[in-house]
Amino acid sequence: MNVSDAFAITVLVIVALSLLGLPVGHAMIGGSVLYLLMKGLDPGTAAEQLLNGMYGSFLLLAIPLFILAAEFMNSGAIMDRLLRFCNALVGRFRGGMAHVNVLQSVIFSAMSGSALADAASSGKIMQSLMTRDGRYPAAFAAALTAASAVMGPVIPPSIPLVVYALVSDTSIGYLLIGGIIPGVLIGVAQMALIAMVAKRRNFPVEPPVPLRELPRLTMEAMPALLMPVILLACLYSGATTPTEAAAAAAMYSLLASVVIYRTMKGRDMYHSLLSSARVTASIGMLIAGAMVFNYVITAENIPKTLAATLKAWELSPFMFLLLANILLLILGCVLEGTTILLIFVPVLLPTAHALGIDPVHFGVMVVVNVMIGLCSPPYGLLLLMMVKVTGVRLKDLIREMMPFHASMIVALVLITYVPWLTLVLPRLMGYKG
Amino acid sequence: MLRAGLWLRRRAEDVLAALLGVMFAAFMIQIVFRYFFNLPTGWTTELTVVCWLWMVLWGAALVVKESEEIRIDLVTSMVGRRGRVVLAIGIALAIVVLYALSLPASYSYVSFMKVEKSSYLKIPMNWLYSIYLVFIVAVIVRYLWLLWELFRGKAPEEEDPTKKISAL
Repeated sequence: MNVSDAFAITVLVIVALSLLGLPVGHAMIGGSVLYLLMKGLDPGTAAEQLLNGMYGSFLLLAIPLFILAAEFMNSGAIMDRLLRFCNALVGRFRGGMAHVNVLQSVIFSAMSGSALADAASSGKIMQSLMTRDGRYPAAFAAALTAASAVMGPVIPPSIPLVVYALVSDTSIGYLLIGGIIPGVLIGVAQMALIAMVAKRRNFPVEPPVPLRELPRLTMEAMPALLMPVILLACLYSGATTPTEAAAAAAMYSLLASVVIYRTMKGRDMYHSLLSSARVTASIGMLIAGAMVFNYVITAENIPKTLAATLKAWELSPFMFLLLANILLLILGCVLEGTTILLIFVPVLLPTAHALGIDPVHFGVMVVVNVMIGLCSPPYGLLLLMMVKVTGVRLKDLIREMMPFHASMIVALVLITYVPWLTLVLPRLMGYKG
Repeated sequence: MLRAGLWLRRRAEDVLAALLGVMFAAFMIQIVFRYFFNLPTGWTTELTVVCWLWMVLWGAALVVKESEEIRIDLVTSMVGRRGRVVLAIGIALAIVVLYALSLPASYSYVSFMKVEKSSYLKIPMNWLYSIYLVFIVAVIVRYLWLLWELFRGKAPEEEDPTKKISAL
């Protein structure tokens, strides 16, 4: 394929600046400015692309709202109640606390859209619960926390799905609903894996909680459990826009934490706002950089050229999906996922479209890939974070991670080649795809 | 000097938190008015989008630290201390030069936007978009400051994965 020298230099500069440690968003803006200068175009185009792009993307407002909703719910007291509830349900099985870890991740996934936030908020407490008295190997516990956090952005709410909706122009409502079954599937695969190894590794059983306690424990967890219900009801019924659904969820979680759980004070509220806004600024910067760089990619006609090239290969949809998965998994080992979603996925989309692959199905599949990348060395942020939080050695963590990787790959293959899993719920709510 | 800097940083954080607070409140007003009183409010939509734009650029320019940003540390983690200093100087110079080169054209784009007003609140767009100039200038100043510190022999900050801000 033909690209101009200016484009080749631009890509080289962006890659070099990022590899040398410049934040990726700045690298993309800086590189694009260089491209405009080399081409003799107006360098003010960078400002124009960024400002109009950000100002015109109402959809992206869901990102700060999702983060805020999870942040309001993020308190030790609420966590304790959820853990007691999970323990009453699955603690009685062999490997009980490991099952609790997966189940609480499913619940947290339904309240937050970020895997790293999930691992950060539950990582420490799950680690101490699982390794107390040497009941589980520390590396196993850390690997499990990282692996189960993967569900976070697959089950709605989801920040990467919002980013995908932006780059692919796909309905965010259908994407979020489409993530439910694949996300739960990942959790089921992990619980199956735990059940398989629990006996061999002689994992302990938690003292069973009498069933008559269950209603009380459920009532205690209920206000937190209602938050995802409200979000999904708003999304599913179509009564509000997806962004408003995110705002309603944030509003509810604020009310629940102030009125019902009484965990939120004025000061906490300020910290929730500030920390959510920081995360928003950081990811927003990446998106802004990609909006500028996207101008360059479009000016060079890259996605269309690539689609034509791939078309000449006469790939079947089966082969294309296989290659896309492999490419995304490899990229996931070395790049942060938002960058993959913003730069590489748009390049694949025209080909996927030409092959008749459903954009909602493709989006959920892409996000699962990116999430597996978070657990993959050398640049797996979840791994690096668990090393830091738990103090286990990276080598041990990676070894314990391997079976979980296998279970996630099995889930990924199912999600890739059985589109029904993703599409059945969106179709029920009227998706024509 | 240091205390003044810290004070300014806190105030920048206050503004950032306030932008999200206003956005959240505007959404609440919008939902209540539309679904309970059946009164659509265009101005809240506009306000939320303005808050979003400002939150990203203000936060990236003045609140989020370099070491918290998503960056790829494959190379920086392999070289020694001296290597890291050289690399940090290189990228700081590159970003200062590129952003400075784009500044005049960015200024003329933003000031040209005075011909347009926002749809509901009727605010001239050059005001709303002026945050971009704040952003560019602040990034240039920050990286110049970083250069100054590097030349005085301060080592670049270590990467810490738990401090990374990623929304994934």
